[in-house]
Formats: sequence, C-alpha cells, structure tokens
Amino acid sequence: MALSLDRRSLLLTASGAAALPLLGLGSRVAFGAEGEITVRIEKDISNLDPANRVGSVEDNIIIAVCQTLARFKPGTTLEWEPDAAKTITQVSETEIAFELHPGQMFTGGYGELTAEDVKFSYERFINPGDAGKKAAYADDWAALDHVEVTGKYTGRILFKNPAPAIFVIGICDGSGGLLSKKATLELGDKIATTLIGSGPYLVKEWKPNDHLTLEVNPDYKGNAPAPYQRIVLKPIPEWQTALLAFQAKEVAFTEIEPTVVGEIEKDPESAVIRIDGIDYEWIGINVEKPPFDNIKVRQAIRYGIDVDAIIAGAWSGTVSRAKTLLAPQLLGHWADAPVYPYDPAKAKALLEEAGASGLKCTLTCLNDARTQAEAQIVQANLAEAGVTVSINAMDPGAYWDLGTPDKSKDLELTIIPYSSKTDPGFQTQWFVSSQVTIWNWQRWKNPEFDKLHVEAGSITDPEERAKKYIRMQQLLDESASCIWITHGVHDFAHAKSLVPAILPNGSNWQYRFFKPA
Amino acid sequence: MPPLVHYIAHRLAAALLTLTGAILFLFVIIQFVPGDMISILLGPRATPELRAEFAQRMGLDRSIPEQIWLFFSRAITGDLGTDVISNRKILDMILDVLPNSLQLAGAALLVSTVFGIALGCIAALKPGSTIDTVLGVVSVSFITTPAFVIAIFLLLIFSLQLHWLPVIGAGDPDDPLDRLSHLVLPAMAISITWIGYLARLIRASLLEVLSEQHVRMMRAYGVPEVRIVRHFALRLALVPMIAVMGIGVGDMISNAVFVEVIFARPGVGRLIYEAILLRNFPVVQAGILTTVLIYVTCNMLVDILNAVIDPRIARSLKQAA
Repeated sequence: MALSLDRRSLLLTASGAAALPLLGLGSRVAFGAEGEITVRIEKDISNLDPANRVGSVEDNIIIAVCQTLARFKPGTTLEWEPDAAKTITQVSETEIAFELHPGQMFTGGYGELTAEDVKFSYERFINPGDAGKKAAYADDWAALDHVEVTGKYTGRILFKNPAPAIFVIGICDGSGGLLSKKATLELGDKIATTLIGSGPYLVKEWKPNDHLTLEVNPDYKGNAPAPYQRIVLKPIPEWQTALLAFQAKEVAFTEIEPTVVGEIEKDPESAVIRIDGIDYEWIGINVEKPPFDNIKVRQAIRYGIDVDAIIAGAWSGTVSRAKTLLAPQLLGHWADAPVYPYDPAKAKALLEEAGASGLKCTLTCLNDARTQAEAQIVQANLAEAGVTVSINAMDPGAYWDLGTPDKSKDLELTIIPYSSKTDPGFQTQWFVSSQVTIWNWQRWKNPEFDKLHVEAGSITDPEERAKKYIRMQQLLDESASCIWITHGVHDFAHAKSLVPAILPNGSNWQYRFFKPA
Repeated sequence: MPPLVHYIAHRLAAALLTLTGAILFLFVIIQFVPGDMISILLGPRATPELRAEFAQRMGLDRSIPEQIWLFFSRAITGDLGTDVISNRKILDMILDVLPNSLQLAGAALLVSTVFGIALGCIAALKPGSTIDTVLGVVSVSFITTPAFVIAIFLLLIFSLQLHWLPVIGAGDPDDPLDRLSHLVLPAMAISITWIGYLARLIRASLLEVLSEQHVRMMRAYGVPEVRIVRHFALRLALVPMIAVMGIGVGDMISNAVFVEVIFARPGVGRLIYEAILLRNFPVVQAGILTTVLIYVTCNMLVDILNAVIDPRIARSLKQAA
C-alpha cells in the first residue's frame, strides 16, 4: 500500500517534469520574432514627459517616439543632422532659426507638427507648470528666452545668453522632443505615461513592470523610417537576470558587466560592443575638514592611494584609469594631466610634514559590491601610509541624501560616481562654489574656477572653450581635492542579427537606428 | 450571538488592529529612513527646490498624525493617492500587478501542499526506513535553502541549460500556456522551502494520528491501510497544516519579493522593493497595506476554517459562550 502511494507520487512528479518543456516550446523564439526585437532596460519607465523624465530609459523612448528639430547621427560621434526641421541654422550666438518639413503628423489624430508646437515644447521647460512646478530638466533650456513663431512652419529660438551646448543637451536630446501642444494640454498629467509624438515609433502598449512596446508609426513622414516593426522593452533591474535572459536568447540587446564579456563572446550568435565611458568616478576629499584643510595631507592621500590597484581589483582591469575630470572624448580634455604614482613612503613623509601622522578618517561610499571593493583597496593602501580608514558604506537612498544642504559637511573621503553629459559644462558645474553645500562634497571653492565655468558656458568657439576647461581641471588638480579613478566603460551584448545604435555616453540608445544586420 | 459568529467578529477586529498597527509602524519608521526620491532619481540634478516640491507632493511635509489620518481616510474610500513620478493612481499600479502576485502565491501554495503532503505521507508510512531518512535529509535541505538561491539554480538548469522554461516576465496575458510556463520556476522557487516544511509536519502529525487507539482499532477490524490513511488519518493530520499555511502565505509573499526581482516578474513584492529603493513612500505604504491585507485575510480565514473543522475549537467556543 505504501508502494502504491509512492508510485503515484513518482508518476505525478515524472509527468509534471516531462510537461515542463512542452510549456515553454510554443513561446520561445530566439531573440524575438521576425521584425521584432526585445531589449532589456534597467528599470521600468517612470515619466515620459521630456521636461520631467527621470533618466536615459525614458530619454531613449522619447527620441524614438518624438521628432526633434535635429537628431544625432547614428554612430559614436555627436554629429547631428536635421530631423523634423528642413533647415536649422545658428544665426548668431543667441539665435537659431528653423523651418519644419510640412505634413509631419502626430499620432492619435492630434494633427500636424507646426512651429507653434516647437514653441510650446521648448518654453514649457522654462515656464513653471501648475502650482509653480519647476520642470525637472529646466536647466537644459535655462538659456532660452523665448521661441518666436514666424510662420506655420518657421520660427526663431532666442536665447538670453549664448548656449554653446544647446544642440547636445537640448535640441537633439530628450529635452528637444517635440510634443503636440493640443495633446499635451488635453492629456495633462497623463503625458507621464502617454507620449504623443511624430517620430518613427509610437508607444503601442505599456504593461507596468513587464514591458513597453514600441511599434512602427504608420503615419511617420520623416526621412528615417523605423527598421523594425516592433521593439519590446523589458525592464530587468538585476544585471545577473539580464545576462541570463540574454544567454537564454530572450533579449537581443542588454548592457552587461565588463567581467562577463568573455563569456558572451564564446556564443557564435552573440557579439559585444564596448564604449569607453565619459562618466567619472573619483575620491573626493573635504578640504574644509581638518586635517584635510592642509594641502599636504590631501597630497599625501593622493600618493597613498593606488588607483591602478583599484582598477585591477575592483574593476578586474576592464577600464582605464582617469587622469582628470573630463574624459578623452570630450571637448576640453586635459591630455597632459599628471598621473600620480602610488608612493606610500612619500605619503607618510607628507603626513609627517603636516603633523598628521597616525591619521584616522572615514571613507564614505555606496554599498554596491564594486564600490565596497574599491573602498577596501583604499583602506589597505592608506594603511601602508599609516592612515586608518573606516568605511561607511551607504545604500543609494542615504548616500544621495548627502546632497541635502550641508549634510556633506562632515564627510572626509568619499568615493563619488557621477554620470555625465557630452558637454563639459555639465561636469564642471558640480565643482563651483555655489554647489559647496549641495553637490560639491569636496567643499573646495575657487573664484577663478567659478568665473571660468560661467565664461566657458557662454562662448561658442570650441577652442576657446577647451582652453578654459583645461585651466579649470588644472585648478582642480592643484587643489588635490579629487583623486580620479575612472571614466568607466559600457559593454553591451547583442544578437549578431542586430546592429544597435549607441551614443558616445553609452546611456543613450537610438532605437530608431537599431536595424537588422 | 452564535459562538462562531462571535468568534469571526473577534478575528475580524484583530485583523483590523493588525492592519492598522502595521501601517502605523510603517509611518513611524519612514521618518527615520534617510534619503529622498528625487535625489535618488536625479542625483546631482536634484535641486533643493525640486526635493522640497516632491516631499510636498508626497505629503511628507505634513506631521505624522496628519499623514496617518489622510492615508487611512483616503484608503477607506479606495484612494491610495497618486504616484508623484508617473502621475498614475497608486491603486491602479497595485491592481495591475496584484493578479501576478496572487497567481504566484496560489501556485506556490498548491505545489507546496501537493508535494509536501505526498512526501510527508511516504515518510510517515515507512518510518525509520531508508526512504524516510532520505526524505528527511531532502526536506531539511529544502527548508534551509533560501528561495533566491533556489531561484538562481532553477534558472540555470531549466532555462539556460535545458532551455525548457523562460527566464523573465509573467508571460502574455492572452496566452494561458505562456503564463503557465512563466509561472513554473518562480512558483517552484518559493514553494520548495514549504514542501520541506510541510513534509516534516505531515510526517510527524500522521505518525501521531496513526498511533492513536481508534486507528489501531480500525487495523484490528481489518480496514485496509490505504483507506485508514486517506479517509481518517490524513484528515486529522491536515488540521495543524491548515493552521501553519496561514503563516505560509505570509512567508510566500515575502519570498515573492526576491523571486519577482530575480525573474523580473511584475508583482506587488517587486513594486514595493523598487519603491523602497526610490524612497517612494506612498507606493511603499500602499503595497504594504495590500500585502498585510492579504496576510491577515488568509490568517483570519485559516482561523475560521480551523474553528469549523476542528471539533476541539468548536467545543471551546461553545463553552466560552
């Protein structure tokens, strides 16, 4: 009788297990169906309003669904070409003139794209919304004075002061997404999840936390039609799950950790793209906190940290070492910046000179595995120089809360990872004096740096701008308040049957240019 | 008032008290959590004005009693507020993903009950045998292995090596087979701990029942062992399991958080997890309210069911009345 029960259970289990493959068979097509691809996004969308979007996930959808006056060309440069505009001309340092192609239609029956829509789309960044709400991305259009409509398809964009980066951070980016005035006013807050554009794709379906489907826009009249019928975006927050999903051929494109590149390259159906990053990670030293107010102590810390060991240990040697704030791909990169070698003896001597032997301090950092590994290497390095470091690893919520006014005043050493934009002014803005109580955690102030930041942001001559940014980096170097670690790297796994289009910052993907190989 | 109705009213009051207590506790601990959503979302782009504005829109600039009053007074009418980032109704956000969580918990409950009972019976019918020892070891292994570890192993074996089942998502809502194929691995990951636990519980319970006098008498009268187990012993042995399953549902819901994250599966657990990381407290509160509601409802139902099927409880209720 016991045998009878046992056998039944076994049969039940065996038949259940045998049915497992049958469950999966019908729906499993490697890397998606014909004319369709599935792309992994790191999180679900939060807000598709160009002025109040949250990050690059939304940015990439906006530039696929909305036209912009000009768009970045596919590839790894930041050259641009007209998109919705027939012509777009920089008339002077404070004026851009444009003429739209006629007959470009918004989806959902919201009519034709006109100069009035351009005016509405841009000016809503600088005009506070309901109840005085400031747009999250208002700074992208901070230099805008107004847009003058001169005809149904023509207009002038007028600036209060020169805006040299406006094409890169405004017009061609998510902040340049052209919305239907009628639709936006009609939809109100629903614009956060209902994007009406005139671009090559439209948002066909959004299942929160499951997928968002971009489908080809049948009414698109532009000159870059969508190569795929459908792009399905799947939010997968965990890197490891994303990797498994790619290896199981459920997604055709995903960003991956640099350490798994070799594993992906073994698969004959997959390929890897590597893009050197322009982000920046550094160790900031609070120059107001004794004894770090003594430059000799800061110099000692700089000599006492082995950045190459951090790259080798925490990054598995997959990135190159940063020498300065601006990455080599950016305007104003300081190519001759000095590289400080690891020299614990020199660090010890400098500390003695400063009367700070036996220094004890705290290193604050994020609590992810890599950053904690970096912190441990720093801890071990500085121990060689006689500095005792305690590590304060924080979750992202608590860590970024240090940007609340004056919460950063007690920091000593901090590992700081910032993402960047392709205009150098975006990077230098966090080091000016007015940011001291907020995001300038080094609390370093320099009037010359502040002046140069303003000047470089208001001239259009690239050579002149570059000189100013280089000088700013020299000032930062003289302060010994920042120890640069890396600009990072972006690695992407993709099906060989797909050619992705990724901009140089690695975060912006041009779905409209994703095409079959 | 009939004793059972009185008992149900009492359990209902206790459930409401638990619900209120959990939410009050949540409101208090939120005050001690550092960080704000907009800094996490925008990093250095978060200006102090934006931070203050978002705090105001989330109602965090009000006093705690005011926040609690507003939350409960709105929640009673089904208004859980609006998400300040997406401008979506939070109730809609919950309702979008709740069916996935319920399917997952339901499937896990079913799997753990079926396999737990089967393994428990096999072990109890051959106490001290090799199969009993093996099942003991297997059960304890199941109990002690965390759900997320099981989830990763299941993914590696069934998705990556065998290519039998999918890795991510909840499947196409219009395709039941696809939904089912997306449910198998997450449900297995959650239920394995409970298979082990229930197998041990059923074994112990069944052995106890099988050694009782009335069972021995049935054997003496020549009632077949299968009939004794199926029709008499197992029924009695299931009573403690029903009580434990009330707690089991709560455990499965909490384990669902990890499993939903690992399988990138939409669900209430993942919604809460991501909202906590973002410090999106109104969504956290609504999510917790939902899970606590499920938990206390299940426990209440289990208590009532126990009162109905267990004559000892029914007797004590009558005596109390």
